Amino acid sequence: MNHITTLLTPRLLSFKNAKNGGKGKLIVFGALGVAFWGGLFVVSLRVLNYFQSIEELGNILSWKLMSMTLVIYFSLLIFSSLLNALSTLYLSKDLLLVHSTPAPGYQIFFARWIESAADSSWMIIIYTLPVLISYGIIYDGGTFYYFLIAWTLLLLSVIASIISAVVVMVAVVVMPPGRVRSIFVLLGLMLFLMLYLAFRLVRPERLVDPEAFETVLSYLSILKTPSSPFLPTSWAYDALYATLNGFARDGFLDLMLLFTCAGAMISLAVIIADAIYVKGVSKSQTARKPLLKPGNVKNARVLAFLSRPAQAYVVKEIKTFFRDQTQWSQIFLILALIVIYIYNFKVLPLDKSPIKTVYLQNILSFLNMGLASFVLTAVTGRFAYPAVSIEGEAFWLVRSAPIKIRTFLWIKFFIYFIPLLILTELLIVATNLMLDVETFMMVLSVITILFIVPAVVSLGVGLGAAYPDFNAENAAQAITSFGGLMFMMVAAIYITVVIVLEASPVYHIYMSGVFNRDLPLARWVWIIGSFALAAGVSILAVIYPMKYGEKKLSGKILDTSVVNI
Amino acid sequence: MIELRNVVKRYDNIHAVNGLSLSVPRGAIFGFIGPNGAGKTTTIKMLGGLIQPDRGEVFIKGISMKTEPEKAKQIIGFIPDRPYLYEKLTGMEFLKFIVDLYGMKEARFKEKAEAVLERFSLLDWRHELIEAYSHGMRQRLIMAAAILHEPEILIVDEPMVGLDPAGIKMVKTLFKELADTGVSFFISTHTLSIAQDLCDQIGIIRRGRLIAKGTLNDLQVHAGATSGDLEDVFLKLTQEESLGQIYYGDMDGK
Repeated sequence: MNHITTLLTPRLLSFKNAKNGGKGKLIVFGALGVAFWGGLFVVSLRVLNYFQSIEELGNILSWKLMSMTLVIYFSLLIFSSLLNALSTLYLSKDLLLVHSTPAPGYQIFFARWIESAADSSWMIIIYTLPVLISYGIIYDGGTFYYFLIAWTLLLLSVIASIISAVVVMVAVVVMPPGRVRSIFVLLGLMLFLMLYLAFRLVRPERLVDPEAFETVLSYLSILKTPSSPFLPTSWAYDALYATLNGFARDGFLDLMLLFTCAGAMISLAVIIADAIYVKGVSKSQTARKPLLKPGNVKNARVLAFLSRPAQAYVVKEIKTFFRDQTQWSQIFLILALIVIYIYNFKVLPLDKSPIKTVYLQNILSFLNMGLASFVLTAVTGRFAYPAVSIEGEAFWLVRSAPIKIRTFLWIKFFIYFIPLLILTELLIVATNLMLDVETFMMVLSVITILFIVPAVVSLGVGLGAAYPDFNAENAAQAITSFGGLMFMMVAAIYITVVIVLEASPVYHIYMSGVFNRDLPLARWVWIIGSFALAAGVSILAVIYPMKYGEKKLSGKILDTSVVNI
Repeated sequence: MIELRNVVKRYDNIHAVNGLSLSVPRGAIFGFIGPNGAGKTTTIKMLGGLIQPDRGEVFIKGISMKTEPEKAKQIIGFIPDRPYLYEKLTGMEFLKFIVDLYGMKEARFKEKAEAVLERFSLLDWRHELIEAYSHGMRQRLIMAAAILHEPEILIVDEPMVGLDPAGIKMVKTLFKELADTGVSFFISTHTLSIAQDLCDQIGIIRRGRLIAKGTLNDLQVHAGATSGDLEDVFLKLTQEESLGQIYYGDMDGK
């Protein structure tokens, strides 16, 4: 036990000593976190209140919602713990140091598992709390209920993370060395995609259209969630359900089931760890093999129009991107997101709408510009924002190379701008074709996106350069930093400004077409002014973030300089 | 070829380099030694253009690193002490990246790269991803990349870290050969035997200031050391300064 607390000390001390950039960041992050929590709480309360107003069906829906919440909570925990356990148990940078100490393997495992369990579940616990607290308020839960919530969520996260840790330990021993990470990334991705598609294919939009169902039973049957007397989520649900219905003793018994299950799982995991953990660590030290074989070193002819340094970075960026399997999972996720995005437009019940279809098509098409831009922001945040951070500790190569930081940043910009422009234009054209919009809206959408994409990419690359994290183990995490948050906020404001500036002119042009009226000259001047302003804002949004990023990055020194004098 | 003029660099209250001036002629191998925290790596980073001095200026073959950094960097080969590279490229791809970055002629790239890799015993590993390389192999690859574009100046931080004895011998021979062709070296090292064997001139830095400079004989006389061993000279001059005794400068920021 001594070793376990000692092994956890560096993490605790690092957390205590961390300088997270001062009060400003803390306030921004804290305020956003509290706002999101509060929002979730209000929405949960309103939904439950609404359910209460529906006779008979309301209660059933409330309990179904709780059951679904717990199943989703547990699935998310399993997914998050799988990847977290793999990196904490087998891929951490300090692993060799820890294993060179006289601490027994199972104790190292236990300390690492505590870290992994805490990392993978704290946020999910915090954001599940408002939903369950709402039940306590609506159903007058009493003190024991709130005590029960805390223990239920904690024990479910313990069980989920220990299951994941055991799966990871066994997999590392069974799978060929060097392939472990790749296989897990693909497995995790498949699991996530299955959940995502399963949810999507249930077609939740049907739930708001009860006419589509012949009976209440058939309506409820689509809400079915997995329930079995052997599932920890069932015990958790039964415990909360019983307590809220005045049977606290039954609730306590179910809680005890969770306790004993968690205790037994931990004991079993420690026994397994004692047998195979160290063996797995030794196996995982083998060099990783790429899934794609490296090809020749000649630059492709299509790049010939670029300068040599630009060619160098384009080739480097593409090769490192496709050889990093963690990137693949992101690409698959984005592809799934796009398929679902387009599919949503396909199933829109436009003909059932009481609003005139042509009018609705064009409103949707206009809103679609904003939606597609938000998708673009998410993709940019994942790929273009970390573009500078992914140079990592090899950033010294950029600093010592005979190219300007400005050139380096613009190369990065174009590497991401071109594919993102193609992607977003395809998205907007495909959805507009499905909506069967008029030519004016199609042209407007294509041109607006042509302005928005470079601005958002510039915001991503520029702010990514201004707030780089060269020590991040995973580039995907860069977007969760302060700079990432800034990027998301600024991009959202920029997109809103452009859409708002275009909204009114588009409305007047469209209405003049519908009523076959000519617009007065003053209106035209105002319309042109609005479009010009939107274009001006976009041009500024391309230039300024890149300049800002260049200035901040040029002024930065490698983090190690301070200690490594 | 290399010139530092009254260079100053501070990190908060720490005076890492304080009024450093020195020059290295063409074809010379200059060794830069000093206790931990004396300012060696900061000096190396300023010479490589990785960081800017707060005051003073760095000149590479007469080109100011401040006003024309790209031009100055074009003639430098930089070898850092820690071999961080792009893990997902192969050795050969990394060399191609460097060749493109420095805008060198592509003709005969393959033969040249293979020759350099062979010299550094990396030819069999040229198509393996760098993530599979050991620390020493990465160090060799960085050296191979640094000389591939035929620089006139090599800035080297701890050249022998992670190298095996055969590698150390090969690097020493290579550096001497390159110096004979006119390449100038600025080498920072803790390994005094390397400085003694390799360098024409040695500078000793302490608390960010150059406290002695010259050939081994000059330094011996300066320190009043009895033996010809650089270790004796070094210890006499630096009096075993430790990291805890870094010069903190004037705390009021003057």
